[in-house]
Amino acid sequence: MILKGLTWLVVLQLLGSVIHLSLLPALPGPIIGMVLLFGLLLLRRGIPEPLEKTAALLLQYLPLLLIVPAAGIMTSSEALLADLPAIAAGLVLSLVVTVPFCGWLMQRLIRRMDRRTEDQA
Amino acid sequence: MSGVDWHSVWTVTLDHPLFSVALTLIAFQLALALYRRSGWLVLQPVMVGMLLVVGTLYLCGIDYASYRADASMIAVLVGPATVALAVPLYRHIRRIQQLFWPILITLVSGGVLGVALTLAIAGALGADLSVLMSLSPKAATMPIAMLVAEQLGGLASLAAVFVMLTGVIGTALGPLLLGWAGVDHPAARGLSYGINAHAIGTARALEEGDECGAFAALGMSLLGILIALFLPLVLG
Repeated sequence: MILKGLTWLVVLQLLGSVIHLSLLPALPGPIIGMVLLFGLLLLRRGIPEPLEKTAALLLQYLPLLLIVPAAGIMTSSEALLADLPAIAAGLVLSLVVTVPFCGWLMQRLIRRMDRRTEDQA
Repeated sequence: MSGVDWHSVWTVTLDHPLFSVALTLIAFQLALALYRRSGWLVLQPVMVGMLLVVGTLYLCGIDYASYRADASMIAVLVGPATVALAVPLYRHIRRIQQLFWPILITLVSGGVLGVALTLAIAGALGADLSVLMSLSPKAATMPIAMLVAEQLGGLASLAAVFVMLTGVIGTALGPLLLGWAGVDHPAARGLSYGINAHAIGTARALEEGDECGAFAALGMSLLGILIALFLPLVLG
């Protein structure tokens, strides 16, 4: 079951990587694979059970998988520390603007849509 | 019978490829236990697990390149897991169809504004180009941000740290900022959590309610795709 789902994911990633290497160097292979899978699910109008189970398992353990690349920080901690004030300011200030902005915009657009459907009714 | 040469046993243990695999597995489980016991958002398992691994490697004198090579049997699954992100995205298809334009407009303008502001502020304060390229995808989920950062000439590990920081800071400031802006619609609050603080924000949004949580998960998945598809084309 899990193996069947994993086979799908690996084949799609392979396909994505081949497309990355031969046609679309701007996009990473796994991302092309993700888009291909999304397209397949749209065509199929549903998620096959093996895929659903494998995806749930892999995504549950995603933090474990990501520890390995994240530990690469030990080779780049100097870059992080050297630019720390700029990084902190960029992260915090942009969030102070975008968090309320996204919420406000979405709320306005939803209310406008609600009003329109009411008008039509 | 002479005694066992403990020094060489120790060296053999450290040199064994499974040492890195075991270290990663143990570090993750310790980090996960700590996160669940404490309930603190700041103690994200990736962050704590990464620190435990880095600390141990330093103490044992192992360099990152050999750790990475030995632990590749764990890391190889990151690719299939990234492909699998299409599954949660597909689950939201009905909601996306219902509110297509509000969601798309908010995602695109919020996403562009976030990237532009972060780059402008950090760039003005003199951050390095590779740091900027690692900062730009920070609103995406971690596997996507790491891939995109590398594609743009940044560092995957730096991107991972920035993703964590964004999630923790965004989630901590979120309730306050959304309150100030008078945002009380659960879908709007959820989408903002998802766009700005990805998985960590989604966990917080779920505490506010089901609708809020669903829109946070949707915002996170869709923004991840948008960043993955367009950032390399725009900045690359």
